[in-house]
Amino acid sequence: MRLETRKLLDKAFSGFGLIAIVIMALALVFILAPIVSRGSKAFVFKGTIEHRRVMLELFDRGNVDKFHKERDEVGKAREPIYAMMAEFEAKTLELETSIETTLDEIKNEDRNLRKEVSRLKKVTPRDDVLIAELEARREQFKTREAELKAQRSELDDTRSAPYEELKDTVEELFGPIPGDKTPVLVRQRYGQTRWDRSLIKLHELLYTEEWDYSSPDGIGVKVETPRSELFAGTCLEPLFSYTEENIPQMMRPRTTFYWQFITDVSKGDNFFGGIWPAVLGTIYLTLGSMIFAIPMGVIAAIYLCEYAKEGRVISFLRVCISTLAGVPSIVFGLFGLAFFLNTIHVSSSKSVLAGSLTLSLLILPTIIRSAEEAILAVPRSYKEAAFGLGAGRWRTVLTVILPAALPGILTGVVISMGRAAGETAPIIFTAAVSVGLPLKIWETMTEPTPALPWNIYNLCTEHEAVDEIRHVQYGMVLTLVAIVLILNLFAIFMRARISKKLRG
Amino acid sequence: MSMNGNTNKSLVMSDAASVRLRLGNWIGQGVLFLITSLSTFAVFFIFYFIIKDAIPFFKTEGFKELFTGTHWYPSAHPAEFGALPLFAGTALVTVGAILVAVPLGISAAVCLSDLLPFKIRQVVKPMIEILAAIPSVAYGFFALVVFAPMLQEKGGTLLSTGAWLILGPIFALLVVVAGDLLLDRLRTRIKNTKLAAITVFSVLGSAAFFLIYRVAGQLAGIEISSGTNAFNVSIILGIMALPTVVSVSEDALQAAGRELREGSYALGATRAETILKTIIPASVSGILAAVILGVMRAVGETMVVWMASGNAARIPEPWYNVLQPVRTLTATIAGDMGEADHVTGSSRFHVLFALALCLLAFSFLMNLASETIVKRSRKKLGK
Repeated sequence: MRLETRKLLDKAFSGFGLIAIVIMALALVFILAPIVSRGSKAFVFKGTIEHRRVMLELFDRGNVDKFHKERDEVGKAREPIYAMMAEFEAKTLELETSIETTLDEIKNEDRNLRKEVSRLKKVTPRDDVLIAELEARREQFKTREAELKAQRSELDDTRSAPYEELKDTVEELFGPIPGDKTPVLVRQRYGQTRWDRSLIKLHELLYTEEWDYSSPDGIGVKVETPRSELFAGTCLEPLFSYTEENIPQMMRPRTTFYWQFITDVSKGDNFFGGIWPAVLGTIYLTLGSMIFAIPMGVIAAIYLCEYAKEGRVISFLRVCISTLAGVPSIVFGLFGLAFFLNTIHVSSSKSVLAGSLTLSLLILPTIIRSAEEAILAVPRSYKEAAFGLGAGRWRTVLTVILPAALPGILTGVVISMGRAAGETAPIIFTAAVSVGLPLKIWETMTEPTPALPWNIYNLCTEHEAVDEIRHVQYGMVLTLVAIVLILNLFAIFMRARISKKLRG
Repeated sequence: MSMNGNTNKSLVMSDAASVRLRLGNWIGQGVLFLITSLSTFAVFFIFYFIIKDAIPFFKTEGFKELFTGTHWYPSAHPAEFGALPLFAGTALVTVGAILVAVPLGISAAVCLSDLLPFKIRQVVKPMIEILAAIPSVAYGFFALVVFAPMLQEKGGTLLSTGAWLILGPIFALLVVVAGDLLLDRLRTRIKNTKLAAITVFSVLGSAAFFLIYRVAGQLAGIEISSGTNAFNVSIILGIMALPTVVSVSEDALQAAGRELREGSYALGATRAETILKTIIPASVSGILAAVILGVMRAVGETMVVWMASGNAARIPEPWYNVLQPVRTLTATIAGDMGEADHVTGSSRFHVLFALALCLLAFSFLMNLASETIVKRSRKKLGK
């Protein structure tokens, strides 16, 4: 090959390496950007009056007087809508009753005619002409009745059914209509708490959505028609333009900083409130697993570094540790279920305790390895100096090696904490439930808990209204990622300090 | 004099004290050893309990159906336990993930160990750590909520852009190398070398361009009917396995040592030649170990595949079609256990342990293989 080509290839080679790094960086940004940007919207967003109502009524937070004043103003703005709806309902009712009464009248007359006919038939001589005339009138009644029934069902189709749909949407947007019964479900007691969700609901209010599957390739096309067309010519027609124009007055969006998202319990099936039970559950599980894993891991590392003589037994031990590190996390979950719950019964059902034990096994190898590395990084001279001063092996370990290795051990511990906080598979069968209250510390021995990783899974796959609580899901993911990343950044920072110190 | 007497006293230990000390030491070490061997017990317990709960399944249903059947209906009557689609799904997403993670990971590792200056390395390494630290459920959430809709809506465009980005540089390099080799052959016979070079490169270049154009065009026409499929999961799993591959293979490349590099440079090799012909062959076993660890990460991952693979227990048609939903072993265990939990003792419950046993056995063998490889390479490098 020519020299130029070799040089070019050399440059291209470096280029490929750099591209790989850049792709990795892009992947990181690509994944973190939506999580951070949309996750932060769980904390900072434009909250509507409904949000403030939720805060006041469910969490006793906010200024009551100010809220009442605002509520009255909003009520005034919403009034025309409810008035229009009431008028429409009344008119529909009127139409219905008029049809019903006409139907009743016709039925009555028809009954009379039938009686008359049967009476006439018994009279001799029979007046066949009159009977035929009456029968003909009955036939007319029948067609009239069919007509009215058709009218009634048309009324149902064109007015009542669309109206019910409209009413549902209005209730979802603004909350229950004043004067109606309070709904049983908490989530139906309030309208949209967020401005972005309100605009989406407004769109649902303004347009009906249908999927057209008529195209030959079987791919559905969304067809949107203005809902006002359905109510053309009725008193509801102005409702749509009114709502569209006055939605800010009716919702009162205001930038809200809702940091209590982390510390509030969730209300109404995760529609309102925060994620505290899950956060607390994650904290319990992480700390619980640390309580078991740190002593075991650090002692194992001390033994392996300071006491063990390399041989068959020790290399077998090492193989076991690396095997443990390679066991898939879901298998840990099954093991936790089969051993901690079904065999030694640490608790009667899933519990934080069982989950912590399972997680501690999962992170044990990481802790052992990092502690070992930290202990080996302690300069030999420290140890020799301690021995020279007459300290025994154990005393050397406790007073010289461990303090010197502590930052390194802590780094490993912090990283494993992040791992334990984020693991889902091991806690599915041993500790996690989807709905629950924050646990007291003594309940962790016996009770299962919600936990961030499990609830993220649960909310974005099994919740009844996955699309409507995206902000909660993103907020949860952001919280979890933030917890893990803060722990890791702390570890990175600490490691940088250690390496600086060791380099002198 | 009195001082001398004192020291003498404390230096000499009575027999009883010496025995006590030794006994104490011995017991202390015993306790330490016991605690250390807890991880051994853990491994044995895991194997024991998984096997214990897997045996009832094999006793009642036998081995044949699980490994050869293609119908996975554990809750039907009569139940069918053909797990072949699950194995196929796992294999498909793992191969996909490896195709993403290994080229990227090894290039990045080379870059980290040989190309980048120290300062930039200090930035890149934490980045890799963060990539490794992001919880799997967050990756799963991303795959399900962000990536899947993106694939569904703009799948064709995304694929063709990807094809341009990946194939473009590779083909450009190939054209340069092939053209150069060809010209080398021709140089002896042709006089007008400049003209020959222009023709050779333009012919090869346009051929390559046309090829990429065709491929990208084909890909652009693809409609992805469901964003939750093997392709999606493969990409995400690849990104997740990346940190493992990078850090382990970087260690391997570093372990090859300065002397090899300097020897190669002294012989007049460029940096690329040094790395490709000397360093990588020297550290190939370590890189293999990195690949194995990457495979293990992809095989054992649960949340991403559970959330974003579509969970359809059938073998894709044709088998390499990554745009169809699949279902993996881990996702099946996670998903079915919730339903099977209250029928503890049934085949439906025990089959999940049988699947877990397969996973466990696979990861155990892989782990053993990587350990052996690393150990052997250390011996070879004399360290």
